[in-house]
Amino acid sequence: MSPRWLSRPRYFLRTAWSGLRESPVTGGISVVTIALCLLLVGSFALLVANMERILDRFGEEFRVSAYLEDNLTDADLARLRERVAAAPGVERVDLVTKEAALERFRASHIGRAALLDGMEDNPLPASLELVLAPEHRNADALERLAEAVDGFPGIAEFGYGADWVSGYHGAVALVRGVAMAIGAVLVLATLLIVTNTIRLAVYARRDEVSILRLVGGSRTFIAIPYLLEGAAQGLVGGLVGLALLFALFHLALPVFAGSLELLLGYVSPSFLEPRACAGLVAVGAGLGVLGSAAALGQGRLGE
Amino acid sequence: MKHLGVEPAHAGAGALVRLFHVSKSYLAGTWALRDVSLELGKGEFVFLTGPSGAGKTTLMRMIFADEQPSEGQIIVLGRNVSRLSPSAVPALRRRIGVVFQDFKLLSRRTVEENVGLALDVVGTPARERRARVFAMLKRVGLQHRRYHHPLSLSGGEQQRLAIARALVNDPEVLLADEPTGNLDPDLTLEIMDLIADAAARGTAVFVATHDHGLIERYGRRVVRLEGGELAEDTPIRRPLL
Repeated sequence: MSPRWLSRPRYFLRTAWSGLRESPVTGGISVVTIALCLLLVGSFALLVANMERILDRFGEEFRVSAYLEDNLTDADLARLRERVAAAPGVERVDLVTKEAALERFRASHIGRAALLDGMEDNPLPASLELVLAPEHRNADALERLAEAVDGFPGIAEFGYGADWVSGYHGAVALVRGVAMAIGAVLVLATLLIVTNTIRLAVYARRDEVSILRLVGGSRTFIAIPYLLEGAAQGLVGGLVGLALLFALFHLALPVFAGSLELLLGYVSPSFLEPRACAGLVAVGAGLGVLGSAAALGQGRLGE
Repeated sequence: MKHLGVEPAHAGAGALVRLFHVSKSYLAGTWALRDVSLELGKGEFVFLTGPSGAGKTTLMRMIFADEQPSEGQIIVLGRNVSRLSPSAVPALRRRIGVVFQDFKLLSRRTVEENVGLALDVVGTPARERRARVFAMLKRVGLQHRRYHHPLSLSGGEQQRLAIARALVNDPEVLLADEPTGNLDPDLTLEIMDLIADAAARGTAVFVATHDHGLIERYGRRVVRLEGGELAEDTPIRRPLL
């Protein structure tokens, strides 16, 4: 004999399944609404994820230079390099010798390299290039790093593009903020639509709700099948939305490949990571449950 | 307290249903029920009668906490309905079987599911539920219709289905509003015997009816309402048939 605690889940699942089968139109509307919302939210998430990747690539290329005095011995340089590597936020330290600096200059000033021809000595200083950890690629962290490193003996000058760093940090924050705001508006709008759709379903079954109350069904007992229905609709909506997003991404990519390459350079667009995909589907299920809960609220179940 | 005739058979603390000076008004100045007091004991079978609009349905609805009295107190199975919190109502209703005049069947569920509903709300295990539902359907002669939907049943079959749902949970109190209104004489007696059998097993039974033949035949206690007031409360005239 199945235990008493098992019989109710069985009833809830059976009732939710019946509800889904008996209301294909309202259920379909909920699924389509959630799918379209998640398609929009997902598109935006895709855009943001790719923009962040581009910004991260720019960030990886960003280096802070500590220009060195000319008279450093190898031992001084090794000591200085160790001290700089231990400074806050420094991920890696690369040495650029005077010769390497000259080579770089020549390479980046093709046609104008003759500018240095008349000079007997190499005027360019050696430097240490500091690659920063991603979380330290902001103006405040750079200020702190400059304060820590600038006074080290052997460093002639410390240079970093503070404006560029602020701009980079601001761009990431702006993209994230806009994405969150638009995502929140979309989710809220979907929640309202789903709530009203499910409310219609509850209204269509008001006689059933009233009879369940009369035979002693508690609010929870009556509500659970509706919440399960909402979760199922949300889950299906999430999967449909994700599938549409995936299809659109792969259909649209070849069409816009040329423009994207121009815009993104060597960063090729990629689809959402598995965790983000799972999150999107979970948001769908959550929307369904929340929509059901809101539709059942405000005393619609009596009591 | 109006007791025209004799005191109820099961008065006092052992009563399962007790009404103390209960009045109900839906509109100021008019009374659906006025100062009604009565008691119903374990295993007692009472016919509630009176003309249409006398307050029979209102009285029953107050007993299963679907309405609150405007005045007075109603104690059902030890719970004061007037002071019952909304969350406590379902637990009380699970101990009461109700046969509604309009049956209140779930049209999208099968006969078996409709009867099983009363067992689902108390979490009866699946195998026990199946067995009890089948036994109950057999008692009301609907076992062969168990996979049908209520709308495909005749009026009489729907009524028997409503009675099966009310009785399947062995309720402590049974309220039946015109339970034999759509039945032919033979079925009426079968159904009334089912209800009388529930009373014999300890269920307190309230049957609202206009059928004086039935009242005569069974000879049970009769409570008559007129214009919302208790006009008559007569005791048992002979034992159950």
